[in-house]
Amino acid sequence: MLRRALQPGLSRGVLGRGLGTHRGRSTLGKVEGSGGYRGSWVAPVSSYVTFRTRDPTHDGKTVGRLGEGDQNGKVSEIKKKIQSVLPRGAWNPLRDTSYLPPEHSDVVIVGGGVIGLSVAYWLKRLEKPQGAIRVLVVERDHTYSQASTALSVGGIRQQFSVPENIQLSLFSVEFLRNINEYLAVVDDPPLDIQFNPSGYLLLASEKGAAVMESNVKVQRQEGAKVCLMSPEQLRNKFPWINTEGVALASYGMEHEGWFDPWCLLQGLRRKVQSMGVLFCHGEVTRFVSSSSHTETTSGEEVTLRRIHEVHVKMDRSLEYQPVECALVINAAGAWSGQIAELAGVGKGPPGTLQGTQLPVELRKRYVYLWHCPQGPGLETPFVIDASGAYFRREGLGNNYLGGCSPTEEEEPDPGNLEVDHDFFQDKVWPPLAQRVPAFETLKVRSAWAGYYDYNTFDQNGVVGPHPLVVNMYFATGFSGHGLQQAPAVGRAVAEMVLDGHFRTINLSPFLFNRFYLGEKVQEHNII
Amino acid sequence: MLKIIIPTIMLMPMTWMSKPHMIWINTTTYSLLISLTSLPLLSQPNDNSLNSSLLFFTDSLSAPLLTLTTWLLPLMLMASQFHLSKEPLARKKLYITMLILLQLFLIMTFTATELIMFYILFEATLVPTLIIITRWGNQTERLNAGLYFLFYTLVGSLPLLVALLYMQNNMGTLNFLMAQYWTQALPNSWSNILLWLACMMAFMVKMPLYGLHLWLPKAHVEAPIAGSMVLAAVLLKLGGYGMMRITILLNPLTSFMAYPFMMLSMWGMIMTSSICLRQTDLKSLIAYSSVSHMALVIVAILVQTPLSYMGATALMIAHGLTSSMLFCLANSNYERTHSRIMILARGLQTLLPLMAAWWLLASLTNLALPPTINLIGELLVVMASFSWSNATIILMGVNITITALYSLYMLITTQRGKHTHHIKNIKPSFTRENTLMMLHLMPLLLLSLNPKLILGPLY
Repeated sequence: MLRRALQPGLSRGVLGRGLGTHRGRSTLGKVEGSGGYRGSWVAPVSSYVTFRTRDPTHDGKTVGRLGEGDQNGKVSEIKKKIQSVLPRGAWNPLRDTSYLPPEHSDVVIVGGGVIGLSVAYWLKRLEKPQGAIRVLVVERDHTYSQASTALSVGGIRQQFSVPENIQLSLFSVEFLRNINEYLAVVDDPPLDIQFNPSGYLLLASEKGAAVMESNVKVQRQEGAKVCLMSPEQLRNKFPWINTEGVALASYGMEHEGWFDPWCLLQGLRRKVQSMGVLFCHGEVTRFVSSSSHTETTSGEEVTLRRIHEVHVKMDRSLEYQPVECALVINAAGAWSGQIAELAGVGKGPPGTLQGTQLPVELRKRYVYLWHCPQGPGLETPFVIDASGAYFRREGLGNNYLGGCSPTEEEEPDPGNLEVDHDFFQDKVWPPLAQRVPAFETLKVRSAWAGYYDYNTFDQNGVVGPHPLVVNMYFATGFSGHGLQQAPAVGRAVAEMVLDGHFRTINLSPFLFNRFYLGEKVQEHNII
Repeated sequence: MLKIIIPTIMLMPMTWMSKPHMIWINTTTYSLLISLTSLPLLSQPNDNSLNSSLLFFTDSLSAPLLTLTTWLLPLMLMASQFHLSKEPLARKKLYITMLILLQLFLIMTFTATELIMFYILFEATLVPTLIIITRWGNQTERLNAGLYFLFYTLVGSLPLLVALLYMQNNMGTLNFLMAQYWTQALPNSWSNILLWLACMMAFMVKMPLYGLHLWLPKAHVEAPIAGSMVLAAVLLKLGGYGMMRITILLNPLTSFMAYPFMMLSMWGMIMTSSICLRQTDLKSLIAYSSVSHMALVIVAILVQTPLSYMGATALMIAHGLTSSMLFCLANSNYERTHSRIMILARGLQTLLPLMAAWWLLASLTNLALPPTINLIGELLVVMASFSWSNATIILMGVNITITALYSLYMLITTQRGKHTHHIKNIKPSFTRENTLMMLHLMPLLLLSLNPKLILGPLY
């Protein structure tokens, strides 16, 4: 009887399980599918180590001894365990796990781009008292090779049609102008984000002139300094422009321009690390959540989910670490849709709140850099033509950056970041050459492609908590104007997390509910 | 005494042989029954002790502590059910075995006659606690916490062993009942001062005294719920109990040797209370509040008057129940939101009203509201220290105010205000949790009807 009592413990390895191995029980660094490795004690750091420790003789034994008592197998198992514990064995309980994220973090921010870092910064800055919340930023690619932030053209403007967008931009500009007060780190050099306040010039044809006027009125109400120019005034101010087909232009006179997004990213990263936020180089592969069924006041059944754990998979390895968390912030940019799916957003019959997916998807956009010696001078603003093509000055050597958003039918395949040079020849160059005659002779120096976290619903950001997955907050879907709104959006999300409502800028039109209720916040000035 | 010890020992085979769905039921029920067997010991007829054998005895100081210890085991088991539910069966049983072992050592410690046996069991309680903290704690810092806990207590208590052996040599016996009649006044010399220090440091570290309290916030915060409960409720009282026993053998050195420790305690009590006001982590706040209350107990024991001893014993029992209840409440929060930060789980009153009632009562007893025994303890200690020196009333008064401040701060932050968006779908309170809180609160409130049970041998 004693044996029976002890057996459930010993035969499945009390010794084996109790001491931090990777058989799915300890919390430090697990490997997927490692439950099948009986007797494997080594903590696999990468997949090839796992294979190396597989014991081939063990497999042979199970095959050859079918039907014979389990005893011999157990004895040799115990012997193997003892051998691995002894000095020259393979098991090391005190191995270094500093590359793994912590087992517990109050807030996990999925995505380490400018939005994610901005949320982390404001969370740490606005929390009362200081140092309370533990924040973990999970970033899949520390080189930011595919991140929208690094590949962005870097413009910032207030010329939007939605008032909230204007307010976000205004605050962000104030943040960027005072960046060295916001992001100062002791003993580190100040940041130079190379803000060129050259303004934006939006051109409108006859059709769009009325819309542009009303937009400018909204912008002026919010405090942006925009002036409307007629074609005459345009020609006077910018002699290099060909005003054929232009009915009206709006020119931002202050707080608009472009800056270096990489510098902002690194500045935020540096500051956020000094404030105590932990970084993890891994990918979120799973959310462990629990659901509860409740009834709303009108009597309909609703399932609320709560995320308990985030499984972060290490880079180039099968190992993952479950991170226990109270909140998850989805700032994964173009891949937010996939993260939201993992969390269970959109799993339900279509047309219901449960079935409403996060409509953010990857869209590829090309940016071309060309050299044009007779091009417009240093005063050139960021010009956005009525046809949708845009360009801006880059540096002081007559180089220009530009591109155009393709129409819905000609969306390129977002599977990779390969550049289609024919697109420049066919769709970007002609309108630009027509608008700026100097651009008829130019030489394309280089080009790259980046992703928009495109919100297919209304091309504006999604900010705030999800109504059903109660502890997931969104900060994504900005469709090409995320970088310029990042500081303000970070603050808004931090206020939502800490206070439960937006305090400074009211972003309630941007909540997730609008996808279900069908209330579009359509932004007219999207490039 | 064997009628308590042998059933406790037998709880262990019972755990291992229970069917999987019966382990919690069996252990909780039987440990509750064992606690009922220890209740009769509370009726101490006079200020002498009840001697059950040469090895074990209880008097009106150790009986309430013993009852508290045995009462706590079913509560610890009830509190641990949730976080162990996902563990494999063998590990659950191992955890329960550790708790039972700890219980056993604690029972024997509180009832030991021989001081060396007391010492051995005092050290032995460290081992199951260390295993519980480092194996089942929640975060990676638990290894650090275990290390701090182990080494602070070990280093503090090693001189105690030497001192006890010396006294055994001197007096011929360390049987406490005899030693209290055979003590001679220790003359004032350096070696006797060292002897005094050696005897007291172990308990000072355990209480903990303000300068040596670093292990406590770490250990309390990183331990799982049962570990926190037993640490706060009972293990700290081991220090107080030991000090009360050993000061009998150390007269009259205590009258002047106590000065630095009294200063440290009084200053420390205000310091730790103030730290509570700045804490963001809920468990950390309760841990520092424990340090603050125990500092009062240290002051009381070092003042060495009948009134202060009454206050010390009352405060120990009251604080044990209150602190354990606060940890259970913090744990119920943690199980739902997976975060110990207070600001991330606010406004719970609208979501869990009954739990808010328990929070209210726990906070009120923590701030020593009349007529609870917390108040009786604190008041007696304040009175005794006032008679020792008039100036201490200022410090005590400031401490009581700050205690009220942080208790209410904790209550208001977690319960009142608008709730955060992400705690909308927390699970409602389980019956198990409500029972747990009620079982903590019931003795606390009932004792205010008959406090002489816990007022110690000098009542």
